[in-house]
Amino acid sequence: MAEWFDLLQKSIWCGVAAVGFGILFNVPRRTLWIIGVMGMAGGATKFTVLLFGNGIIIASLLAAILVGFLSIPAAHRKHSPPMIFAIPSVIPLVPGAFAYRTMLGLINLTGNVTSDTYSTLMQETMNNGLKTVFVLMSLAVGVFFPMLISRRETFKQIRTKGEEPENKPA
Amino acid sequence: MEKEKVKISALGKVLLETGALLMSSGANTNRIRVTVNRIANAFHYDAELLVTHRALMLSLADERKDKFYSSLKRTSPHGVNFRLVSGISHMSWKVVEEGWTIDQVNAELERLKELPHYPRLVILTFVSLAGASFCHLFGGAYVDMVITFVATFAGLFVRQQTTKMRFNPYLCIFFASLVSTMLSGLAVKYGFGQNPEAAFSTSVLYLVPGVPLINSFTDLLDGNIMNGMVRGANGLIITLSIALGLLVSIFIYQI
Repeated sequence: MAEWFDLLQKSIWCGVAAVGFGILFNVPRRTLWIIGVMGMAGGATKFTVLLFGNGIIIASLLAAILVGFLSIPAAHRKHSPPMIFAIPSVIPLVPGAFAYRTMLGLINLTGNVTSDTYSTLMQETMNNGLKTVFVLMSLAVGVFFPMLISRRETFKQIRTKGEEPENKPA
Repeated sequence: MEKEKVKISALGKVLLETGALLMSSGANTNRIRVTVNRIANAFHYDAELLVTHRALMLSLADERKDKFYSSLKRTSPHGVNFRLVSGISHMSWKVVEEGWTIDQVNAELERLKELPHYPRLVILTFVSLAGASFCHLFGGAYVDMVITFVATFAGLFVRQQTTKMRFNPYLCIFFASLVSTMLSGLAVKYGFGQNPEAAFSTSVLYLVPGVPLINSFTDLLDGNIMNGMVRGANGLIITLSIALGLLVSIFIYQI
């Protein structure tokens, strides 16, 4: 039970962070609350998947895919491009801690290292660095996922439930 | 005849302005191309566009291919502004659906450029709150969240000031990173708070180049390899500037 409460708390803070970045990127005011909700949904997905013992890369990918799909109906509703919702919402999922540890590891590697410490240090740095890169990649791919599988140039051509099919020039 | 010539050059200028605004506000390459083409098609012209990070090249032709217009435009310095991206996207559909004139498009662009940013205090407060949230996510307690809040607030303030003073953008990020980590580093140095490491590592996260990196990957996936690589390099230099600020703080405090 305690872990679910913790998860809820973390999701709410993810939403707060998403709104903060939305304001930094100067999104229109009418889209802010949706960004908050999408940030929370992304955070909840990531931490739930992590809770079941999966890796951070797959957790981030699933969270980003969810955010990507949510951004389509949001874009239709608020008449703004989906990226405006998706980018601030996935920023809280950026692997800051891993990036920091990678950087610290690299700094330590440039110092005087003996052959004993070198291999552990190198191993940790490499592991953290690869995680950072792959999480970033999965965030970008996840956000872009709806466009990739629907093979459309703009989101207006993606039909959502209850809307007339659009035949506008792209 | 003359009228046609005036029209095509006026449209060309509007299209380049639209594209340049989108590029500097943080839209990806495909969006720029689609938007410019959409507006050009609404006026019954064919547009071909070469998009790069710092300049746009446009070639415009009418439907009978007997009038051409071709021009280059440099993009202004980059600063993420999604309100502009959203406004231009909205406008491009109105041009198609309501048959706007070039003057109307020009007026709308001027209006969008004048749209206000959030008040400075609001930006500072909410971005600092976002920093505090990151601190919580990485295992910080409430004390550490306050430290991150203060460090982010000061760092972002420095970034805004140095940007106003027209320093090199990467240098602005270095200054901001240095100020933030100098403040949060104090907590690590003197063992203040429950998990000062979390505060220290999350106090620079507001500088993370999320938009350049995500746009870099979407451009690469779209097949705009050159732009994707350029954006990636930009993101990398920003990351290195953050790291440099962090490094200097670690060196000064010897932590």
